[in-house]
Amino acid sequence: MMTEQVVGETAPPSVVRQTVRSIGYLKESPVAVIGTAIVVFWSLVAILAPLISPFEPTATILPFARPLTPAPDGGRFLLGTDQLGRDILSRIIWGSRTVLIYAPLATFSAYLVGVMMGLAAGYLRGSTDSVLSFVSNVILSFPVLILYILIITTIGPSGLNVVIAVTFASAPGIMRIVRGLVLDLRNREYVAAAQTRGESAWYIMLCEILPNARGPLVVDICLRLGYVTITIGTLGFLGLGLPPPRPDWGGMVSDIRALAPAFPHMAVFPCLAISSLVLGLNLLADGLREISLRD
Amino acid sequence: MSDTPWWKHTHPAVPELAEQLRDGKIKRRDFLRTATLLGVSATAAYTLAGRLTGETAIPRAVAQGSPKKGGNLRVSMFVKPVDDPAISEWSETGNLARQVVEPLAQVGTDFVTRPYLMESWQASEDLKTWTLKLRQGVKWSNGDDFGAEDVAFNFERWLDPATGSSNQSRFAGMTHVVTKKDAEGKDVESRVANEGAVEIVDAHTVRLHLANAELAVPESLGDYPALIVHRHFSDEGGDLSKSRVGTGPFELTDYAVGERAVMRRREGQHWTGDVYLDQITYIDTGGDKSAEIAAFASGQIDINDRTGVEQIPAMQQIPGLIVHDTPTAQTGVARFKVTEAPFDNKKLRQAFQAAIDHARILDLAYQNNGIPGEDHHVSPAHPDYAELPPLKQDIELSKKLLAEAGYPDGIEFDFVCVNSPQWEPNTCQAIVEMVRAAGFRLNLKVTPGETYWPRWDDWPYSFTSWTHRALGTQVPNLAYRSGGVWNESSYSNPEYDALLDQAGGTIDVNERIKIMAKLEKILQDDAVITQPFWRSVFVTTTEKVKGFAVQPSLEHHYNKVWLDT
Amino acid sequence: MAILILKRIGTMALMMLVVSLIVFLLLEIDKESVAVKVLGVFTTEEQRRLWLEANGYFEPLYLRYFSWLAGFVTGDLGESTVFRVPVSEILWPRLANTAILGVLAMLVLIPLSLLLGVFAGMREGSLQDRAISVVSIITTSVPEFASGIFLVAVFVVGLHLLPGTSTMIEGFDLTQLVLPVAVLVIYDFGYVTRMTRASMAEVMMTPYIRTAVLKGLPFRRVIVRHALRNALIAPFTVIMLQINWLLSGVIVVELLFAYKGFGTLLLEAALNGDIFVIEACTMVAVFVAVATQTIADLGYTLLNPRIRFT
Repeated sequence: MMTEQVVGETAPPSVVRQTVRSIGYLKESPVAVIGTAIVVFWSLVAILAPLISPFEPTATILPFARPLTPAPDGGRFLLGTDQLGRDILSRIIWGSRTVLIYAPLATFSAYLVGVMMGLAAGYLRGSTDSVLSFVSNVILSFPVLILYILIITTIGPSGLNVVIAVTFASAPGIMRIVRGLVLDLRNREYVAAAQTRGESAWYIMLCEILPNARGPLVVDICLRLGYVTITIGTLGFLGLGLPPPRPDWGGMVSDIRALAPAFPHMAVFPCLAISSLVLGLNLLADGLREISLRD
Repeated sequence: MSDTPWWKHTHPAVPELAEQLRDGKIKRRDFLRTATLLGVSATAAYTLAGRLTGETAIPRAVAQGSPKKGGNLRVSMFVKPVDDPAISEWSETGNLARQVVEPLAQVGTDFVTRPYLMESWQASEDLKTWTLKLRQGVKWSNGDDFGAEDVAFNFERWLDPATGSSNQSRFAGMTHVVTKKDAEGKDVESRVANEGAVEIVDAHTVRLHLANAELAVPESLGDYPALIVHRHFSDEGGDLSKSRVGTGPFELTDYAVGERAVMRRREGQHWTGDVYLDQITYIDTGGDKSAEIAAFASGQIDINDRTGVEQIPAMQQIPGLIVHDTPTAQTGVARFKVTEAPFDNKKLRQAFQAAIDHARILDLAYQNNGIPGEDHHVSPAHPDYAELPPLKQDIELSKKLLAEAGYPDGIEFDFVCVNSPQWEPNTCQAIVEMVRAAGFRLNLKVTPGETYWPRWDDWPYSFTSWTHRALGTQVPNLAYRSGGVWNESSYSNPEYDALLDQAGGTIDVNERIKIMAKLEKILQDDAVITQPFWRSVFVTTTEKVKGFAVQPSLEHHYNKVWLDT
Repeated sequence: MAILILKRIGTMALMMLVVSLIVFLLLEIDKESVAVKVLGVFTTEEQRRLWLEANGYFEPLYLRYFSWLAGFVTGDLGESTVFRVPVSEILWPRLANTAILGVLAMLVLIPLSLLLGVFAGMREGSLQDRAISVVSIITTSVPEFASGIFLVAVFVVGLHLLPGTSTMIEGFDLTQLVLPVAVLVIYDFGYVTRMTRASMAEVMMTPYIRTAVLKGLPFRRVIVRHALRNALIAPFTVIMLQINWLLSGVIVVELLFAYKGFGTLLLEAALNGDIFVIEACTMVAVFVAVATQTIADLGYTLLNPRIRFT
């Protein structure tokens, strides 16, 4: 959420002011600043991929080139090439798009479902709560990677299916958090006021309760984005991720893992890319939590 | 060089072959292969070829110092179920069973088929009757003599539809179709053995009677489902992991499917002479190819079942490893469904063909470990291969043809391939990148085997891998003949079919090659397939493994392998 | 207490029942695809139909489910289509192997992360706290497959210090478990450490600890006698929940090191469509996860006098 606001330029003034204030908060925590910097860096890389990528990410040029090898038609393979002769730097740059599209998309979709479930369970209580809580307990009882493997091998590996799998597996966890927050907030005065005004239940949930629950949720979003990034990478590594030739970081490692002992550059850089993005998100989450505790 | 006596006992075509070889009309390799298929012993064929051409013929797996006895060969391979060799679907299963039970014939590391549990075979002039002379003095591990009864028993099992052996189709000439009614009264077709198809002539002679001419009988006898089990195999449960009687030099002593299989050398002399290893340990290192490399690097294995081409650069970086290779007639083809638009448009297919640089794909996707393909699916490794003028990449021509085909702005379509083994998607990615310059925008769909295989002959445009077969006509018969069982492109051309028949009935190699040239040209001109390359196969060993050479079908012939410690 | 335990066990049974229904529906609702998976893709429709008939697949769905469930409860898990042996013959040894790996990982993970967590949490904001936090956040950000590849490249290929695979062919060998355990611990210790740290930091803020410190009791004694007992309640739950995570984590690690455990069995079954193995593995995994969750809940109740389940 933060990062989108940082990047967005055409936002209305109030949002700008809010953003400035958020950045001001961030300054209080060096951890959060570093985290934000890393995340913004990768977001910029993803946005500017066509401009900064030195080669076509799928062009097969010179197999097995080590880092810094000059390319035949000028330029240099700064991070070397893979077994098909594709420039690793370009693939990492374009691969950031894959990750930064699918991870947020999957997380957003999981949030959409999870928040709805959590609001309904926490606000309506009663049988809705019992049923939803039971469903989420059942799903959460699956070891998460097993759940992913089951879903992906049943519906097949594709971008959309990864989003579906993440939604299915993560929504119950989000629901639990939201439900807890709602149980805490539902007895506040402004909720009671809205109820006496005769507002509908959904209005109260979405417009009164949800905005006040956003603090802990923002922290959770950052953590979850990091986790989803690792998950997409791991699925790619297990051969269940996004199908090639679209570059994706986990898939890049998976493709060359037989070569990794001898050509570490093929594995190290994509691994560093994943790890750094996840680290950025984790640091951001940590910093935000710190700030929220301080208030 | 006049008639030598043994010629009289061989196929009538052999003297003619020998003359052609002497006059330089056929190559030594072609002579060796065709002559051995017709029943000339490999040693005799080698000797004769050497005498006729002046070349010394040395089979591969040459002597490397004096063999040492003892040791445990640790092999990295998927340990699949070892139950009934006749129904095995994997070469890995065959390799486990092969150490315990043995075949009648064996395809050597030089592609030449030799008698194994046989002394010789003989084909009748019409190639319909095959007489198998079995080896004398071979003992089963339970003390029984090996003989005709065992072989007849195995054939009966293979041809029995209840067994479900793929040998039934290999020896289809010994069967006929019967129609039965099932419980609901529907007709069910199945194949059963012909009356008298297997004849026991004496204790060590078996004669096979086929309804049609068949040249590949020895090859079929050397294939992995044709390992000969004891005549009481079925009575003892029909499971090799439980009933461990065999003629082979090893016995299975410890076995856990998916994990390991341990073979100990049996007491006593094996009929092939000295067997050096004391033990073979098969270790399942799982589906992760990097695990195998790590196992080599830390000295946990001595040899692997096969090395993927993508592993080679890593293997080469590890000191003390040797990557062995052999060329094969294994390949993969990107094929159009020629009955479906837009691929029914021949101009479009030819435009595609013009955009391909076969050698470049071989280099990119298979690190140049093979021979560039020529889009007609007959390999230079085949005895009846005819050489055609090489195909050249011509992007301008491709663009022109594509425009003529009605796509001046290029065309976009899906290209389906399976995700594993990895050289397949790699090859497809190289193709996709290559044809882009000519205006072909391909969307590569890499699918798991579960999605791919049920529809493999149904996709409009897809990539299929094909295994090695002994003769140049065998794959075309399956894949490009009108209505062929594996005709995935739905190609149908009466002229092509007629030439296939003609080639199949022609034993004279030079005549056959002339027909093959026409056959190859037709398929190439129709641009049905893009066949990027014929691939080599690889096996990695440590330096201390001696006496090993790669067999083209990746069979493990370990009788003469020894460890230098 | 007894009622509480019975109640939890009842919930557990209900959950397993629902999970079994999900697994069954996910994998067996399409009987055609079951037949394809069992018999292979090159079989004729006739063969598939005969097999489906022989195995009762033309019965109504609910009857199929109950007979499947009955088989499961009585230990008849079906036959593996890849290995051609009863599933139970391979599943239990594999599970035992994974248990060995899991126990070893826990034996390293628990002391390490508790120690680090307590160290970090007892002086919040200090240098040691900062350092431990940074290290644990970094290691948690590195996916298992990445650290696995790094460790193999360094310790196996580079330094020749450790064996590269853990197939245990020559019998049990502890050195073969060093790298798998390391990968599991590296990824997971950060999380447990941070939980312990948070819990410890919270306890350190409580009035009675502050009082104890102000009273001039030795710091060491305050920590060991008073703070630890309360600070370790939350990590106990977290650690029990790591067993659920471990069942996921072993998949990547076992694949990387060719360890013949439960994770590789499940993964290979899933990739090969070995349907009855997938079902059995999933059920067993969920059972272990639910059981540990139940134990965690009960243990938490026992340890923490302030909480009573209603």
